[in-house]
Amino acid sequence: MKRISYLIILSFIMLSAFSLKVAAQEEETEETGDIVLKAVPQNKNALFKDYEEVKYKLQIRNNTNEFQKGTISYLITTDEGKKIALSSFPLSIKGKADKELIIKVPPRSTGFYRINFMVNLPDYDDTVRRVFGVNPEQITSQLYKPADFDAFWKQSREQLAKVVPSYRVLERKDLSTDEKKVYAVEMHSYGNLVIRGWLVIPRDGKNFPVHYRVPGYVVTLKPNMDNDDFIAFDLNVRGNGNSQDIINIGTDNYSVVNIENKDKYIYRGVYMDCLRGLDFLYSHPNLGIDTSKIFVEGGSQGGSLALITAALDKRVKLLTIQVPLYADIHDNYSISESYERQVFPFKVFRKYQSQHAGFTWDKFYSTWDYYDPQNFAQMVKCPVLMGIGLLDQFCPPRCSMALYNHISSTNKEFVCVPNSTHEVNFNYFMFQNLWLREKFRIP
Amino acid sequence: MKKIITFFLFTCLFFVLMPPLKTFAGFPIGKYRNVIVPTFSYYHQKDRFDDKDNVIKGAPGTGFTSYSANLYIGYGISRRLDFIAIIPYLYQQNVIAPGNTLIDAGLGDMTVGLSYNLVNFNYIRFLSIGVSGIVPLYKSSNGISPLGLGNYGTEVKLMYCGNLPKDVASKGYFNAEFAYRKYYDSQGPDQISFTGTVGYPITKHNQLSLDILLFRSFSSNKTFNSNIFAAHDYSFFKPQLNFGHTFTRKFSMFVGGFYVPFGVNTGVGYGSSVLAVIKL
Repeated sequence: MKRISYLIILSFIMLSAFSLKVAAQEEETEETGDIVLKAVPQNKNALFKDYEEVKYKLQIRNNTNEFQKGTISYLITTDEGKKIALSSFPLSIKGKADKELIIKVPPRSTGFYRINFMVNLPDYDDTVRRVFGVNPEQITSQLYKPADFDAFWKQSREQLAKVVPSYRVLERKDLSTDEKKVYAVEMHSYGNLVIRGWLVIPRDGKNFPVHYRVPGYVVTLKPNMDNDDFIAFDLNVRGNGNSQDIINIGTDNYSVVNIENKDKYIYRGVYMDCLRGLDFLYSHPNLGIDTSKIFVEGGSQGGSLALITAALDKRVKLLTIQVPLYADIHDNYSISESYERQVFPFKVFRKYQSQHAGFTWDKFYSTWDYYDPQNFAQMVKCPVLMGIGLLDQFCPPRCSMALYNHISSTNKEFVCVPNSTHEVNFNYFMFQNLWLREKFRIP
Repeated sequence: MKKIITFFLFTCLFFVLMPPLKTFAGFPIGKYRNVIVPTFSYYHQKDRFDDKDNVIKGAPGTGFTSYSANLYIGYGISRRLDFIAIIPYLYQQNVIAPGNTLIDAGLGDMTVGLSYNLVNFNYIRFLSIGVSGIVPLYKSSNGISPLGLGNYGTEVKLMYCGNLPKDVASKGYFNAEFAYRKYYDSQGPDQISFTGTVGYPITKHNQLSLDILLFRSFSSNKTFNSNIFAAHDYSFFKPQLNFGHTFTRKFSMFVGGFYVPFGVNTGVGYGSSVLAVIKL
């Protein structure tokens, strides 16, 4: 009895310990190199209060056999690239050895800060770039909302309403499985353009909440076969995926189509496409769509499209966005000025501006102020979950948080992923899943 | 833009990783969500183990049988904190000699407490602690075959559960619990137990799970009691094999059978259970 009992207990302890070890490994990605520098913020999400010291634990690993002597330093700059702190320490580390240092930075005021950790050794130089935030929920931004903003979008919606949707729903048996039916969906949208999407309906049940996904920048959405508890509706807005009949433009030019005319700018139709997708869902309850439980989701451009959909149409019950593109476009421009190399989206805008004489930034804003997601944020009333990556240059965290802070819904949360660039991580999506189930009371 | 696509690959994963559960064990129930698990169990013993782990044949015509109905109620107070209550109803037949049967029925020891998720490991594995009070819902003096020890008690439980590591199995889940229970009486008992569960889905709607229970009850009262609910000093090992079927997202059922192959100062028990998991 005793021996067998001990054996079984031991097996379970080993299994538990093994899974703990796996969990720990999953959190870390192993870096290799002669010298490995790892910077770990004291607060896991790298967000601090304005009264607390900003602390990082630096772990230095010397993988060589040689004794190394040099310096380790850190440089803190603002989002605009203004230098605010620089400090340096001597570093000596034996071969095949580890060293840990605690870096303490005096409390900072509200905002996001870039912190670069540099190792300088005779045969090795490296920089680890990180970003930390202070009181992100207190970040404010100026709204450049045109006086006729609401009228502009009211008129846009009225024009959309005049377009007969002429929905077509075609079952794609070639794509369907034993567990899910796939439908190709087609409809007419703003300007009478045809847009298409994919509807995937689980066979195992009768009435489902809906995961309505809108696309990233010129991203092709395909049938989402992975939701067992949701109907998945993936809409390719004009110029994306299988909605490229009329507009078929690459990533270099998509965001500048008719940018000099606010009435004809491509995003006017794109935003309306997202609402037309919602019209489609509401007009097809016969497909098992639970219209009382529709959540809209998107990442990057899709994050902004999702937010604007929820802002303009109260039929959206939940909103989840990740790294919302174009948020606080004025500030995004300012921040992008500090980049050594331009990145999207201002890489595209700057290129256009350089090639079009007379297209000033004032002209740019006279269009974009109608489209800045930040100007829609106050209209969002439903629960919101947002994810951001602190190393994101496409959607700087300051811009995302400014947008978030303008959202008028009081039922909102954000998740900060410190070491991510223009993406969030697996952990975020696991949380999002729980969050959705909690809000929709899904068992 | 490629990275954007990775968003959506992640979304593919999160719906698949939710493990099917027999009971919620260390898994947080979730804010605002309710779980009700009615269980019907049958237990019978005829022979017994002595204090040296030897099987002693029971006298012909004697034995102890229990039919029990448990009601488990779980409510998610917050994302980490759950309220748990278990209310048992027992019907017992203790045949101490041919023609001499002690029968009693009624509510047993209620367990009421809270479970708190200490750490979640990427929302895949969870480490939780549970603290409960044991409240006898009967009067020990009026039972001819006692429905419990008749004392108040406290239980502290550490639970670790989640998906099986990918290196072990591509799907499935586990739960491990260590519990300490103390009854407030001069004879105690103090009890420690280890429960381990491994579940594996065999199809989308069906799963098999194996529970093992190692139980040790310490007391100065070493007397053998054929009534397992009123015994004081004993130990046993009980494996149980279960089959579960998920009918809908809100309703699942499990049937299982168990046997006590090893024990000390307790019965050679066997039995079965049927339970339903109702998520509200």
